[in-house]
Amino acid sequence: MSIQGMILLAVFAAVLAVFGFILRMLVRTLKLGKPEARSGDTAKRIRSILVQVAAQARVLSQPAGLGHFVIFWGFIFVTLGTIEHMAGMIVPGFSYESLFGHAAAGWISLLQDLLGILVLVAILVSLFRRFALKPLRLRIDDPAARREAVLILSLIFVLIVLMLCIKSIGVLEGRIDGRYAPVSRFVSGLFVGRGLDLHLAESVLAWIHHLIIFFFLLYIPFSKHIHILGAIPNIYLRNLGPMGKLDRMDFGDENAEKFGNSVITDFTWKQLLDLYGCTECGRCQAACPAYLTEKPLSPFRMIHRMRHHLMRERGKLLAGGTESDDAAIIPDTMTEEEIWACTTCGACMNECPPFIEHVQKIIDLRRYLVMTESRFPAELQPVFRNMEVNYNPWSIGYASRAEWAEGLDVPAASQKTEFDVLFWVGCAGSFDARAQSVSRAMIALLSKAGVDFAVLGVEEKCCGETARRLGNEYLAQMLIDANIETLGKYRFGKIVTACPHCFNTFRVEYPQFGYQAQVMHHSEYLLQLVREGKLAAGPVPSTAGAYHDSCYLGRYNDILSEPRELLRRMGVEKQAEFARHEKRSFCCGAGGGRMWMEETIGRRINEERVGEFLALGVDNVFTACPYCMTMFEDGLKAREAGGVRVRDIAEVLLEAVGGGDN
Amino acid sequence: MKIIVLLKRVPDTEAKILINQEGTGIREDGVKFVINPHDEYGIEEGLKLREKLADGSKVTVVCAGPEEATEAIRTALAMGADDAVHVCDPKLADPNPFTVSEVLAKAIQAEGFDVIFCGKQAIDDDLAQVQSILAEKLDIPQVNNATAFEMAADCRSAKLSRRIEGGDEKIETSMPAIISCDKGLNEPRYASLPGIMKAKKKEIRKKSLADLGIAEVPGTGRSRVLKWLPLPKGGECRIVAAEETVDAVRELARLLREEAKVI
Ligand SMILES: Cc1cc2nc3c(=O)[nH]c(=O)nc-3n(C[C@H](O)[C@H](O)[C@H](O)COP(=O)(O)OP(=O)(O)OC[C@H]3O[C@@H](n4cnc5c(N)ncnc54)[C@H](O)[C@@H]3O)c2cc1C
Ligand code: SF4
Ligand code: SF4
Repeated sequence: MSIQGMILLAVFAAVLAVFGFILRMLVRTLKLGKPEARSGDTAKRIRSILVQVAAQARVLSQPAGLGHFVIFWGFIFVTLGTIEHMAGMIVPGFSYESLFGHAAAGWISLLQDLLGILVLVAILVSLFRRFALKPLRLRIDDPAARREAVLILSLIFVLIVLMLCIKSIGVLEGRIDGRYAPVSRFVSGLFVGRGLDLHLAESVLAWIHHLIIFFFLLYIPFSKHIHILGAIPNIYLRNLGPMGKLDRMDFGDENAEKFGNSVITDFTWKQLLDLYGCTECGRCQAACPAYLTEKPLSPFRMIHRMRHHLMRERGKLLAGGTESDDAAIIPDTMTEEEIWACTTCGACMNECPPFIEHVQKIIDLRRYLVMTESRFPAELQPVFRNMEVNYNPWSIGYASRAEWAEGLDVPAASQKTEFDVLFWVGCAGSFDARAQSVSRAMIALLSKAGVDFAVLGVEEKCCGETARRLGNEYLAQMLIDANIETLGKYRFGKIVTACPHCFNTFRVEYPQFGYQAQVMHHSEYLLQLVREGKLAAGPVPSTAGAYHDSCYLGRYNDILSEPRELLRRMGVEKQAEFARHEKRSFCCGAGGGRMWMEETIGRRINEERVGEFLALGVDNVFTACPYCMTMFEDGLKAREAGGVRVRDIAEVLLEAVGGGDN
Repeated sequence: MKIIVLLKRVPDTEAKILINQEGTGIREDGVKFVINPHDEYGIEEGLKLREKLADGSKVTVVCAGPEEATEAIRTALAMGADDAVHVCDPKLADPNPFTVSEVLAKAIQAEGFDVIFCGKQAIDDDLAQVQSILAEKLDIPQVNNATAFEMAADCRSAKLSRRIEGGDEKIETSMPAIISCDKGLNEPRYASLPGIMKAKKKEIRKKSLADLGIAEVPGTGRSRVLKWLPLPKGGECRIVAAEETVDAVRELARLLREEAKVI
């Protein structure tokens, strides 16, 4: 071994030791978090690594992702070269050629050269984007975030240049086959005829290169590039279950003094791993309805700040101390305004390449504020009260719950006990004047199709969704338990509801409380009735319009084609699409309990969405959610857009089957 | 300091009130009961006073009402009251304000008190008499419809505001006194979950009339509800519409004058 090789080996061993120490610290930090089960489904998880890490599916779902793809693969091949070179310095004579043969080594070399050039281009484009284009998604109020990004990009740029120079000397010295290194061969022209001591030049360049790599290794864990370490495990451990499902809290301990999360160690280890996984790409932010309407919340900023919070506090925490009081998560890392601004629309989670789960974190903070501190926007107090007393968020007595059905022939479950379909009306369908008309349309359609159905009437209580998303898990569980008891009294085939929030809650969250039932959203069920020929939908006149995907229906539950097919079958002559639609639909602004809060900061989310609709130049908004309906009605009024009708798909279908406009 | 807060269990503001067949009261099936909303201001003010004093003062809820009133009392305990006295006796089935006041007076005297907060009126029968009768029985000053309350440093007097026609009235009273509370005095808190958990273990002292040394139901001869009658059915609602708003207003005025003869 040469002297150089020995020095390199010593430095390398030292760097590895320090790196190992850092890794151990990172893992110990994760262990500060609460337990959470994330295993099983190994096959699916491995697949997810192939699709999301190797093929970078989500990264590539946006054009700018191509840059990351190139840099990712380029860096891997450059690293292969680095390993070869270092090994060669330590073990004289080592090379891929001696190991794998001429052709294989040649291919590695070729890919290094080609990817190397592509990486350089990608980095220049990235820097151009950052400095000239300044896209919205990269905006963040922390200058350190930008400095880190630029430093890393520049270092990678330098590494690639160094690699090409080192290889070009290899070509000149005949160690590398120039046919497999076209770029290096081209670069080698720079070294010819300058009287350079090629051997010395190579040593110097290689040392610079390797030292940068060592620096990189030690710098990564303290920068946003920790995602190089965090993103892959985070993708492996991603939530494979339904999106945005909240964890179930246990209220068994009557002596508990605290509920929800207020310090970083209240989060689970997986939630902390999320913080390591963030690439700071800002895609979440560019999709966030709160951020896009100038609210203080940005999911990107939230993750960024939480990571800094963790990094700042971990030393003390690992030494057995507690978090500093003067830098609490609320309000120093997340203000209450940010926490309440979220509509839980899930757009952030739908975009995030490393599959970070933002919503549960926000709900965990809300849980703390509501249940432990009893601190929340004043307008929520009557909402909570009324859900407790009258089982609905409207300020209406529970005894009025069935009044919408007065004068209609609506079979009550209590008189039937056994039936095929339980039509779950929901609070909106029961109390909101506009949504009541959807409930009546549903009754007409179910009757017309000869469905054996019933409703619970005053026995029905709020499904608990609003309370749950507002962080009032205790109230939510009271409602859920009460409903489960009521539902247990009856025998029926399935629950059908016109509200995506009720739908998601029954489908995804009631099973957490031991209740399983088949549940269908009315868009699915009505389509089924039409397909089976139980409802004959003729064409409806003048129905050019666009369908608005409700977050909890489309993004959360993948029900995208059913409402569209239903509209098609009704002969809706022109179905326009919102610019943001299907999984990338833009929230109406009402989710996450925002329906019940004032929207005083920034622009109004519903008006933003209405603006998007008006640009389409059609006259109907088709909805499949009572909240979306309200938000559109209000938004259209605010924009003074007369002549536009907001119609639930059930209302349109009723017209299509000749049931008239109800 | 011993802070007493009065609590009456009343039908929820949103409840559908129907009179029973005999006309002796309301139908309770399908009616949800809550803490009288004005009493919540009293509870909150009591809690705020205790927090401000921070000297080991106690807030005690006093309630006369049926067995089921326990739920409302627990809510007050969850908000933060320390304990409660619940006067519950079958003999108190249909009390008038004199009865209730006499009973409450005895219960409060047995507890001891330095200040009493109550609501300005109970939203069920809207009498707003209890506080005044109670003040007489306990021989202490009363300030009604308080919208601001500030205890003096020595706790021997307090300054208050009450909203009256066209302005505020500033009042100073000696202590102990009974304060009936109005909207605007404070924002009643929403019970936290640790509060709810703790409330389950707090003491509610059940008292019968005999426990309070009351042999005969007091005040029975003073007043009596003869009959409960439903409101007469209102007339049909008519919407006056016209192309121009001003024409609609003109037509409305004509109808009010000529048909309804009210203007
Ligand atoms: C705006 C207004 C104007 C009025 N004008 C007139 C008028 O001009 N002439 C007239 O004759 N009458 C009038 N009245 C009605 C009259 O004032 C009533 O006699 C008076 O308002 C009634 O006292 P009360 O018994 O209703 O008290 P309540 O409404 O019964 O109670 C007041 C408070 O006492 C406490 N309390 C009551 N019951 C209990 C219980 N069981 N346990 C514990 N605590 C309890 C609660 O804190 C409650 O908030 C008016 C009432 C109002 C509200
Ligand atoms: S769930 Fe929606 S509103 Fe909430 S942070 Fe994510 S994108 Fe923003
Ligand atoms: S949370 Fe996800 S989407 Fe948002 S910046 Fe980080 S990696 Fe990108």
